[in-house]
Amino acid sequence: MDEEKRLSRKTNILFSVIAVALLCVLLFPLYWALITSLKTEQEIFQNPPTFYPHILNTKSYAAQVETGDFNMFRSFANSFLISMGATVIAVLLAVPASYGIAKYHFKARKAVLLSFLVTQMLPVSVLLTPMFIMFKNMHVYNTWVAAVLADATIGIPFSVLILKNYFASIPKDLEEAAYLDGCNKFSAFVRILIPIAKPGVMVCAIFSFLYAWGDLAYGMTFILDQEKRPITAGIFNFMGQYGTKWSYLTAFAVVTIIPVAIIFIFMQKYIVSGMTSGAVKG
Amino acid sequence: MAKIKKFFRYENVGILFVLPAFLYMLVFVGYPIIHNLILSFQDVNAGNLVRGTKNFILFDNYLELFQDSVFTASLWNTLRFTVLCLVFQFIVGFALALFFSKRFSFAKPVRGILLVPWMIPITVTALMFKLLFATDIGIINFLLRSLHLIEKNIEWLTTPGTAMFALICANVWIGIPFNMILISTGLTTIPKELYESASIDGAGKVQTFWRITLPLLKPTIESVLILGFIYTFKVYDLVYVMTSGGPVNSTHMLSTYSYKLSFEMFKYSKGSAVANVLLVILLFVGVFYIRATTEGEND
Repeated sequence: MDEEKRLSRKTNILFSVIAVALLCVLLFPLYWALITSLKTEQEIFQNPPTFYPHILNTKSYAAQVETGDFNMFRSFANSFLISMGATVIAVLLAVPASYGIAKYHFKARKAVLLSFLVTQMLPVSVLLTPMFIMFKNMHVYNTWVAAVLADATIGIPFSVLILKNYFASIPKDLEEAAYLDGCNKFSAFVRILIPIAKPGVMVCAIFSFLYAWGDLAYGMTFILDQEKRPITAGIFNFMGQYGTKWSYLTAFAVVTIIPVAIIFIFMQKYIVSGMTSGAVKG
Repeated sequence: MAKIKKFFRYENVGILFVLPAFLYMLVFVGYPIIHNLILSFQDVNAGNLVRGTKNFILFDNYLELFQDSVFTASLWNTLRFTVLCLVFQFIVGFALALFFSKRFSFAKPVRGILLVPWMIPITVTALMFKLLFATDIGIINFLLRSLHLIEKNIEWLTTPGTAMFALICANVWIGIPFNMILISTGLTTIPKELYESASIDGAGKVQTFWRITLPLLKPTIESVLILGFIYTFKVYDLVYVMTSGGPVNSTHMLSTYSYKLSFEMFKYSKGSAVANVLLVILLFVGVFYIRATTEGEND
C-alpha cells in the first residue's frame, strides 16, 4: 500500500468535502420527496418553499393504514409476494443452469448462452400482448401468479450470466475430490458447489428481487384489480386520480423505497458486485 | 433408454442442468416473441384477441406505421432521447469515476451511496422528478425564479420541448451510477506502473488522460455505451409515468406508443408492429455488444 500515492491531509479533507457536496446534490430528489411526505399540504404550497417540515405531519402515512381505495400497505404486501415469488423461481432455475453452462461443454452450449444474453435486451413491449393472451388462456390473468411468472423472466437471464462466472471460477479439483468421497454429479453440485457460490446466489436473489420490485409494466398490464396490484402500479393509479396530493404521493414513494434502502444498507457489497459484472440493466 | 443414458454421460449432462431454465424462458419469452411477430401480420383488436379468427393482412400494419406521424415522431424522439441521455450520463459518470478513483477517506462510502438512484423503482423516480418539475410548487421553478432567470413559472411537463428536457434529466439521474461504477471498475484495470512511468517521462495530467486512460479504457467505454444505448432505447416506465407520451404526443417513445396502441386503443396488431421495430433496432445494436462480450469466451 505504501507505494501508492497517498493524498496529503489537506487534499484529503478538500476531496471529502467535495464528495459530500456532490452527494447532497445528487441525492436531493430523494431528500425532497421524504420531507414533502412529512409536510402538511398547506406547507407544500407555501412560497418560498421550506427546506424541512416546519410542522411535522405524519397523517399522509397514517391515513393509508385505514382502509381506502389506495391502501399502500396492501399494495406493499402484494409487491412483496410477487417479488419473492419471482426471486424464488429465478434462483431455483438459474443456479443449476449457470452451473451447467459453466462446467459442461455440451452441444449447443454457446447457443443457449447467447439466448440468455439476447433476452436481456428485449423490450417489454414485445412481450406484453402475447403474455396477456397466454395468461388469459392459462386463467392466471388478474392474479399475482401472472406478475410472478412474467417478472421471473427478468431475473433468470441476469442470474445465469452472473452465476456462470462464479461456478467457472471454482477449481475442478474440488469437484473431483467430492467424486472420490462418493458424491455423484448432482450431490457434488448441491453439497459442494452451491455453498461455495453462495455470494453469487445472493447477488442473483437481490437483483431478481429488485427487478421485480421495480416492475410497473407487467403488474399494471396483467393485474386489473387495484387491490391485487403491486405498489408501483398503485402509485401510478394514485397519481392519475389525486395528481397534486403531493404529501400522499410522496408518502407512497417513501414506503416503496423502504425495502430498497434496507437491501442497500445491509447488502451493499452484493449490489456493487452485481453492477460491476456488466450484465446489469442500465 | 440405453441410448439416452449414453447421450447424457460426460459433458452432455450439462443439458439436464440447463433445461429447466431454458424451457421456462422458451415458454414465457421465446414463444411470445414469435407470437408477437405473427400478431403484427394479423388484424387483431379487442374483439378477436383471445378467441376468434384472426385475418392475416401481412405488411399492412407496418405500411400503415410509416404513414403515421405519431410513429415517426416516436422513432425520432426515442433516438434523440437516447443519444442525449447517453452523452450526459456518460460525461457525468466518467467525471465522477475519475474523482472517486482518488484515494481520499470518503471515496468508497460516498461512491457506494451514489448507486442508490439506480436501485430505486423507476415509477418512484418519475414521481420525484414530477415533483421537482411541478409548475407551482416545483423547486426547479423556484430556483430559476430566485436567480431571476425566469419571471413566470415554466409548465415543464405540459410544454412539448421542456417535457422532453425533464425526461432526459430524470433518466440521466438514473444512468449516472451505472456509468460511474462500470468506468470505475475499468479504471482499476489500468496498471499503476503506466502512470508512474508516464510521470517520470514528464507527461502532464491532460496528456496522461488522453494518451493512457482513454485508450486503455476503450473496451469499457464501448460496452458502457452499447449497454446504455440498449437500456435507454427501450425506456418505458419513466416516460409512461411522467408524461404518458404527452403533451400532444410530443414525448412518445416507441415503447409507450406501442403500449398506447395495444392497451389503450386496442389496436393490438399495430402495437405489436411498433414493438417489433423497436426490437429490430435493439438487436442490431445488440450484435455489437454480443460480439464484444463473447470474444474471450472460447474456453
